Formats: sequence, C-alpha cells, structure tokens
Amino acid sequence: MSIPVIRSFISFWERMNGQKQDAVKSLGALAVIFILAVLVSPTTATGSNIFLQLGNLTDVLRQGSIVGIISLAMTFVILTGGIDLSVGSILALSTTVVALVLTRWQHGPSYPLEIATAIFIALLVSTTSGALSGAIIAVFDVQPFVVTLAGMIGIRGLAKWLSNNANVDVGFGQDVASTFAAIFRGKTITIACYAILAAVFYILLSRTIFGRYVRAVGDNERAALYAGLPIRRVKLWVYSLSGLLAGFAGVLYAAENHQGNPNAGVGYELDAIAAVVIGGTRLSGGKGTIAGTIIGTLMIGVLTNMLRLNNVDSNVEMMIKGGIILLAVALQKQGRQAR
Amino acid sequence: MPNPILQLSEIDKSFDGTHALRGASFSLFRGEVHALMGENGAGKSTLARIIAGATSADNGKLLLEGSPVVINGPRDAQRVGISIIFQELDLFPHLTVAENIAIGNHQFSRQFKQRRFVRVADLDSFCKPFLDQVGLTRSPRCEVRTLTTGERQLVAIARALSMRARIIVMDEPTSSLFDDAVERLFKLIVELKRQGVSVVYVSHKMDEIFRICDRVTVMRDGQTIDTRAIQDVSPAELIRMMIGKEWQSRDRKPIELSSEAILSFSGVTTEKLRDVSFDLRKGEVLGIAGLLGSGRSEIGAALIGLDRCKQGRIAVRGNPVSIGSVREALAARIRWVPEDRKLEGLMMQMSIQENCTISDLGAFSRAGFVKRKREYNRTMELFHGLSLKAASTDLPVSTLSGGNQQKVLLSRCLLANSDLIFLDDPTRGIDVGAKEDIYKIIEQLASQNKGILLVSSELPELLRCCDRILVMREGAVAAELTAGNTTQEEILTFATQAPAQVRGHA
Amino acid sequence: MKSLRVLATLLLALPAISCNRTTSGKRQFFVAFSQANNAEPYRAAQNELMTRLFTQAGDVNLVIADAQQDNSKQIAQVETFIRQHPDLLIVAPNERAALTAVMGEAMEQKIPVICLERDILQPNYTTLVHSDNIVIGRMAGEFIRDYLIGKYKQPKGNVVEIHGLLGVEAAINRHKGATDVLAAYPNIKVIADPVADWIQARAKDRMTEVLRGQSSIDVVYAHNDPMAVGAYLAAKELGREHEMIFVGVDGLGGPAGGIKKVADGILAATFVYPLCVDKTVEIALQMLRNPSFHPAREYTVAPQLVTPQNAAELYKQTTLTQ
Repeated sequence: MSIPVIRSFISFWERMNGQKQDAVKSLGALAVIFILAVLVSPTTATGSNIFLQLGNLTDVLRQGSIVGIISLAMTFVILTGGIDLSVGSILALSTTVVALVLTRWQHGPSYPLEIATAIFIALLVSTTSGALSGAIIAVFDVQPFVVTLAGMIGIRGLAKWLSNNANVDVGFGQDVASTFAAIFRGKTITIACYAILAAVFYILLSRTIFGRYVRAVGDNERAALYAGLPIRRVKLWVYSLSGLLAGFAGVLYAAENHQGNPNAGVGYELDAIAAVVIGGTRLSGGKGTIAGTIIGTLMIGVLTNMLRLNNVDSNVEMMIKGGIILLAVALQKQGRQAR
Repeated sequence: MPNPILQLSEIDKSFDGTHALRGASFSLFRGEVHALMGENGAGKSTLARIIAGATSADNGKLLLEGSPVVINGPRDAQRVGISIIFQELDLFPHLTVAENIAIGNHQFSRQFKQRRFVRVADLDSFCKPFLDQVGLTRSPRCEVRTLTTGERQLVAIARALSMRARIIVMDEPTSSLFDDAVERLFKLIVELKRQGVSVVYVSHKMDEIFRICDRVTVMRDGQTIDTRAIQDVSPAELIRMMIGKEWQSRDRKPIELSSEAILSFSGVTTEKLRDVSFDLRKGEVLGIAGLLGSGRSEIGAALIGLDRCKQGRIAVRGNPVSIGSVREALAARIRWVPEDRKLEGLMMQMSIQENCTISDLGAFSRAGFVKRKREYNRTMELFHGLSLKAASTDLPVSTLSGGNQQKVLLSRCLLANSDLIFLDDPTRGIDVGAKEDIYKIIEQLASQNKGILLVSSELPELLRCCDRILVMREGAVAAELTAGNTTQEEILTFATQAPAQVRGHA
Repeated sequence: MKSLRVLATLLLALPAISCNRTTSGKRQFFVAFSQANNAEPYRAAQNELMTRLFTQAGDVNLVIADAQQDNSKQIAQVETFIRQHPDLLIVAPNERAALTAVMGEAMEQKIPVICLERDILQPNYTTLVHSDNIVIGRMAGEFIRDYLIGKYKQPKGNVVEIHGLLGVEAAINRHKGATDVLAAYPNIKVIADPVADWIQARAKDRMTEVLRGQSSIDVVYAHNDPMAVGAYLAAKELGREHEMIFVGVDGLGGPAGGIKKVADGILAATFVYPLCVDKTVEIALQMLRNPSFHPAREYTVAPQLVTPQNAAELYKQTTLTQ
C-alpha cells in the first residue's frame, strides 16, 4: 500500500467522530472472532468447513435472536442511564400467556385471527408490565435497579400463578396452538423478526427525536431537564418498549420450545446486558449504538458457536464468555483514555 | 539574585498526538507569588499539573533547589513539598474538615505512627495550627459539605500547609468566590509569602494578578512567551502576549430604551427570593450582581419554571404568566444558559450539533425524524455568527474548549429566536478571546430588541455589558443601579452591607 | 491494535482447551450426547457410567454437552451437534415439548438418535431407552398403601407428594402410577403437592412450608431421592422426622445415593430407577458397528424396590460395580 493511501486513511479515521470509530473497532473485533471461528472449525467428511455452512451460520443467527431482540430495547434503557432486570420474567409471562390463550381456544373464528389475538394479548401484557416499571421510575424517581428487580420477582410470580407453575404444552397436532408453533419456530421467521426489529430500533435511535432524547437523558439528566426535554415521558416509553420486546421474544420462545414456560428466561437479562455492554454502550448512559449491540450479539453468538463446534465444555464456555466481557470493556476504556 | 527554588526547562508534553507543551519553561523563587497566565489551551493548566505531579512531562528538566527531581505522582509531590489546589476542589464532602486534612497525609502518618487507631482528638490536634493559620473558624469536626466554597478552599490550603508545602499551586482560586472570601484569600497569600512559601497563581483575572503577584509568566500555544516582573508590564501588554493580537476594550454606549417592558417581576417570593420586583425593557441588558447564594440564579429559576412562585406575579410581554416547567418557559420564548455548563448545560458525550439543537428538534424534523441536513446548515450558520470553529460538528462537545462550549449553549438561545434570555455567568472560566466574542454576541442580541438578564461574578464585566445592574443580597433586591453611573465599589457595598430594599440611583 | 493482538492470541489458545480431537489411525465413532443437566446426581451418574463404558469399548469418541436445565441451550447444542454430523446422537431431553422438533431435525439429517430415559411428544428418534415410570409410580403407591394399612390397620393416612420438574415424563408418570393405585382408597389423602424441580434444597424449603401448615403427616413421597432427603432434613430441623416416612425414587449406589439412605434409615424405601445407560451403550455399539442392525422402537429396563431388608446387600453390589 502506498503512503498517500495510508495517509488519507489516517486522516479519514481521525475525522470520524468517536462513535463511528467505536463501531468500526467493534466490527473489527467481530471480524477477528469470525475468522478465528473459521480457522478452528472442524470439517465434514467431504472437507467443507462446518462453521461456514449456511445452515450453521443461520443457526447462529437464530440462536441469538431471542436474547438479541431483548438487547435492542435494553440498549435504550441503558442509554437513559437505567437498567431493566425484569425482561427475563416478562419473557416467561409472555410465553405463558400466549400458550394459555392458544391452548384454551376451542372454537375460534379462524386460526390467523386467533393467533394474532393471542400474540396481541401477550404483547399487551408484556408492555403493560414494562410501562408499570417505567411509570414508577419516571414519576416516583425510584432507582431503576430496585424497581425492575421487584418486577423481576413479581412478574415471574404472576407467570407461575397463571399457569399453576406448570408448563403449558403446545402439541404437534393440527390445533391452533400447534399451528402457531409450527409457523413461528421457523428459522426464517425468527431471523426476519430480529432483523426487522433491529432495523426499526436502529432508525429509532439514530434518526428520530426520541432517539436523541434517550441519549440526552442518559448523558446528563439535569441538563436535559434544563433544556426542556420530556424526561418522564422518555423514561416511560423506554421501559414500555423493553417490556414489548421482551414480550415479543417470549412469543418466539413459546413457538421454538413448543411450550409456555413460567420458568423460562432466567438470566436472560444478564445476557442482554452483556451484549449491550460488549457492543460499546456504557452502563452510565448517554453513549452507545444499536449497531454496537447487534455486533455484541453476533460476537457472543459466533464465539459460543465456535466453542460448541469444538466441543469445549459448557462451563469453560461460560468462563470464556465472562472473560470476553471484561476484555471488551477494557478495550473500550483504552480507547477513551487516549482522547 | 537568589537561586530559584523551582526550575522547569524544555518541558514537552503531548496527549495523543496533540502538543500541549513545547519547550516550556518556568522558574519560581522562594516566597514569591508568581502568576501563570494564558488562554485556555495555552498549556498553563498542564504545566501546573506537571509541577504538582498530577501528570508527568514527556521530557525536560525539573530542578528543585538546584537538584534534579523526579515526581511520578501526587505522593512524590507531597514528599518534596509541592501541593496543588484544583479549581474544582478535590475534597470529600461527606468527611469532616479534620479527616480531609489528615487523609493521605504523610505528615499525619508520621506524627501518629505509633497509634493503631486514629482518635478524633489526634485529628483535631493535628489540624488546629493549620486551620488557625488560614483563618478558618469552623469546627474541624463539621462535614465539608456544610461549608461554603470559600471555606472549603481554606480547608484545601490548610491541607497543603499541613503537608509542609513549600510550593502551592493555585488553579483559578477565586473563580467560585465573591469578594469577601477573596480578600481573606489574598491576606493569607501575603502571610504565606512572609513565611517563605511560594505560590504559583494560575488565573485569568487581571486585577488580582496585579494586586498580589510579583512576577507573571504568559503562555501561548504550549510555549512560554515571556516572564516579567509585575511592575514592568501593563494589562494590555499581557493580553497582547496572551492572544497575540491587539485587543480593544469597548464599553457599552448608553442607548435609547423603549418603554415596553418585556419582563416584570412584582413582589415575587419563592423559597429563596423575597419580594423581588423589577422591570426589564426590550433591548436592555440588565445585570444581576451579588454574593453567591444571594438569589441571582434563583431569579432565573423562578423565570424558567424551576422554582414555584409563592407570592407575587411574573409578567412576560405584558401578560401575567405562571410558568410551571422548563417546557412552558421555552414555549413562552424564554431561554436560559445555566451556570455550570458541564453539570447543567451540555450533554458532554453528544455531538456539537446535537447539543445546539436539543431544545428545538421540532423545527428540524418531520414526523419525528430529524432532518440532519437542515440541522447542519442552520447550526453552521449560527456558529459562523458566533465565530465558533470546530473540525466537525459531529465531534462530541467535550472536545471543545470552555469558551466554545459556552458558545454552543448560547447558540441554543439564538436558534429559537427567543426574545427573553437569562444568562447565568456565561464567561466563567473561559479565555479572554472567547469572552470578547460573547460580549459581542450579547450586544448583538440586545440590539435586536431582546431582553437580556446577565448574572455575573465579574464586576468589570457587568459594568461593561449592562445598561442597569440589579444588586441582590440575601434573596432580595438591595439596589438598582445604572451601569454608566456606578462603580465596582458601590456594587460591592450594596451586595455586602446595605439592608434590603434600599434603592440606589436608577 | 495491541489489544486486538492480545485478543487474537487468547482465542488461538482455545483449541488447546477443547476436548476430544482424535488423531489416531483406527476408525473412531463420534458419539454426541446432549445431557439435560449435569447438576442432578442421577444424570451425573449417567454421564460417568456412559463415559466408562464407551471408553472400555475403545472405538468411540464421546462428547457430552450440558444444557444446565435450559431448553434453549439444549436446542442450540443439539443443533450444533447436527452440524458436526455425529455417527450417533444420544439425547436426554430437558423437557418433552421443547426438544421434540430439534430431534426431528436430527432424524431428517439421517443421524441415528437414541432418546434416553425421558420421552418426547412425538417419536422423533430411532429408539427410546427408558424405564417405565408408571410401573415405579404404581410400586410406590402400593408400598405406601401397604405401609399405611400396617400403621392404622386400615387404608387411611396423610400423604405429601413432592413433584419433580412438571413438564417431564418422569414426574408425570411417577405421579400417575401412584395416583392410580391410591385413588381406590378415599381415606388416603394427598394433603400437599409442592413442586421442587428435582432439587434437594428446593424440596427442603417446600417441605418446611408444608410442615408449618400441616400437623399430621404419615408419608412423604418424593419423585426422586434428593427431594426425599431434602424433605427429611426439613422435618428433622423441626423435630418431626419420626412422625412420617420418606419414600424416594432413583436408588443410586455409592455413598451419596438413595440405597445408602435406605440402609441408614433416612428413607423408608426407594426404587432403583435404572440409569438406562448399560442398555443404551449396548444398543449404541451395535448400531455403530453393525450397519444392518435395526434396533427396536423402544427398550424398557425394569425398576427394583429397595427397602431396609435388601438395602445393605444391594449397596454392596452396586458400589462394587461403580
């Protein structure tokens, strides 16, 4: 490469603002992990690389979609300087509600309508849970950690109570519940849902007024107040969206697992937060992108897949995941100190 | 000529490719008060931090009493007797005065080495001599957060003295003080001089420097321009050295004011204000002076809807209003620039452009989507008028200097074409060149028939920019003065001694 | 850039940690085993026995994945195994509904599948090796009835039934079998039926709650031994352990297993629920080595009642072979 090209690249790099630089760095890390996964991947009997198989790559996307969807909304919550610990429980509630509604339906009008209604009810319940947390946080100024912690416990209790602590099985027959599962467990649908939601939230954060407000509130809430921003409304919306997406993830989960499960989603809030943090969003709020979160989700997905293809013990897998989170945060800190 | 106690030469320092210091030098005699001046970004803060061990130089020589010394951190600095008092005092608000002095203090550890447990009586006995020395009468057992800013500064100095500091670096020590605390500080500095302690005085304030300093060193663009004895130099010369060009002082000419009042307070009482009444006319700049806590910012808080009016009326453009929130104030075309740009004004991680338009996104968007191009064009237009130059408006606002950050806040007022503007200490902590720009902007706004309320701690600034000056004392109006007819002394008198409700010549 | 280099080096060290990369000349069969939850002692015993038997066989490379009781994780692990196209896939499903579809995918990819011990909703496997939990439930019901008749001279009494994970076939059938027997005796009442998900600590907590609410309990019937022991500990803390008897299921050997607990008098009875691993390995090796071998659709391994009478003898037997 000739010197002028290098120089123009360097000046291009320096003129990019900090956020774009961070995104490129994250992308670079993802590329490194991807290449590594290709290199260490086992091969089939015919010699083709297993990791690069289209089926495997789409598996990775599908496996990461549910937590990925939750992470999208979690990005918004963390950007406002808050946190939502209740998303795993909301997911459980959503799976339970959608399975209960579908399996209780004996003589409905038509399958598409019943399925849509069940999904709608599940989403309504989830969004309301999120909105409740959001209202308490916004109006009574209680710490998000505490409010959503209470939500985490209480909402799971609600889910267990609704189903009498039993799983609500969705069969493999011809009834409406089985049809729902057959449609929504498909890889294409799941990945498409994630992709569409990712695009929507990307635009929401980077192009809309609401997105600006979210970042401003997290960056400096006092300054946002003095600048006349509708802080309470922003917070209420952000937690409602978190509930909505957790509910959506729950619908997909119910289809994938063929059951409503009030014990589902334990620990999913931490996985979502991990993806958000690896993607470059700071827990203190104000700084972060959806692109980063998507990259974080993909990084975890590719890493996990690489480890599993090489049959690394799943406990070692968890230790490595923990290490990656620390590494990611340390790298981000390095970049910041230099400025 | 005695030997300098401290000598720095050929100091270079870079941060990530930017040269903060290039071949800088500095020397300090025993018992000298030596001013360090320069615009923001000139390198004086960096140099001060190198002296105090908060940062280390990339290369260069550091001689203490003639012998080379290596200072790798604050503990080394403490050991060789150098202390720094930061502009934002680094005290622990929830610890007591005595604890703040004793914490991390080698002298204290040495004195009480034998003890397994620290007793409160030990803390008291250790601190007393130094508290007496600085003249702080508060009990060493009260928590620092209950002290005023001036008292806190005395605690910081007492701490430096307790560490047997021979050299004390003071970074903008009077920026948060009003004149009675300033007087106390100056008396203390004179006393320290007498005891042979040297002071490095980093400041922008010309009158202070000429009052207490012996020599002054001017820095510009990371280089030491010159060091002169204070009696051999004039303020204009210093400014010329700092900004490298001629600087004209301009005074506000008295103007014909319209009789229309754009704002009137009648008997307004809030939690902090008592029966405040005044009028602001279109095209007028009304200054608000007073000690810290006298109610200056609280007038703005009442206006903008942050404080509730318990009694009295506020009328805007002739109509009585009751503004309950900041949004209502913005809707009524009232704008304000808060006192602390970092804590209350800007979103430091967001871009320059975003900070400028954050209150008015409705004007730059359609159906909730922000039209970046429109936003960019308008902000560039504004910045041009404000002489604000930035490499890119997408960079975070934290990359700008203090003066430019303040301009971004001001640009918000211009953006919405509001006609009632409240400015709370807009030139605090910014360099001379930027200050001039801001004075020009204020003049411009006034000439557009807008009403401006200007709160300031700098009396010369008030005299220069304002038509009238409201002096606040303990939450009430102490006096209403005409800028052209009054003096700094008169303002000060009303701020500190006059009973409330005395009206001066208006 | 330096940090990226560090990251790359760290990740390159990974292959060293991964297990089971075989390079020997002899043909090795790759057997993948997706286990539901290594934390349960029953399953840990399964893993250990399976590893030992396959190692003895000499031509099998066995990889075990632990789903840690998470359905989504197990589905993902099975999917990843499918990608690697093992010679044989063994699955111990965490929950019936969740794993059915993905095992169907394995079948579609022409991978032979052995479903171990737990059934699924549809027969998406080559063969199912299990023990009949209904038989166990029935045996337990009979044992309880006989004990109560012995105690009160008539079939009456208060029973507490502690359930395992509700979606699992074992829990469903151990409950059903016992209920079928006891339903004929209206005076034998099940006064509480808490759920403890197979876990001892949870059973202890649930039992404590039940003890506070019930003044007279005759029998505690738990769907596995750890839960029965948990209930015993709860009763012991409140000084009521002699008021009732404790019946469990699993009957594992070794010092921590149910047989020893019966020998020590903590449990009144347990049922050896076979690990089903012996049979599985036997069938697996036949399937691997003999391509024309077609296994039966299902294999049932018989359970055995353990009481203080035969506990000591059984313990010696099972612990020796372990």
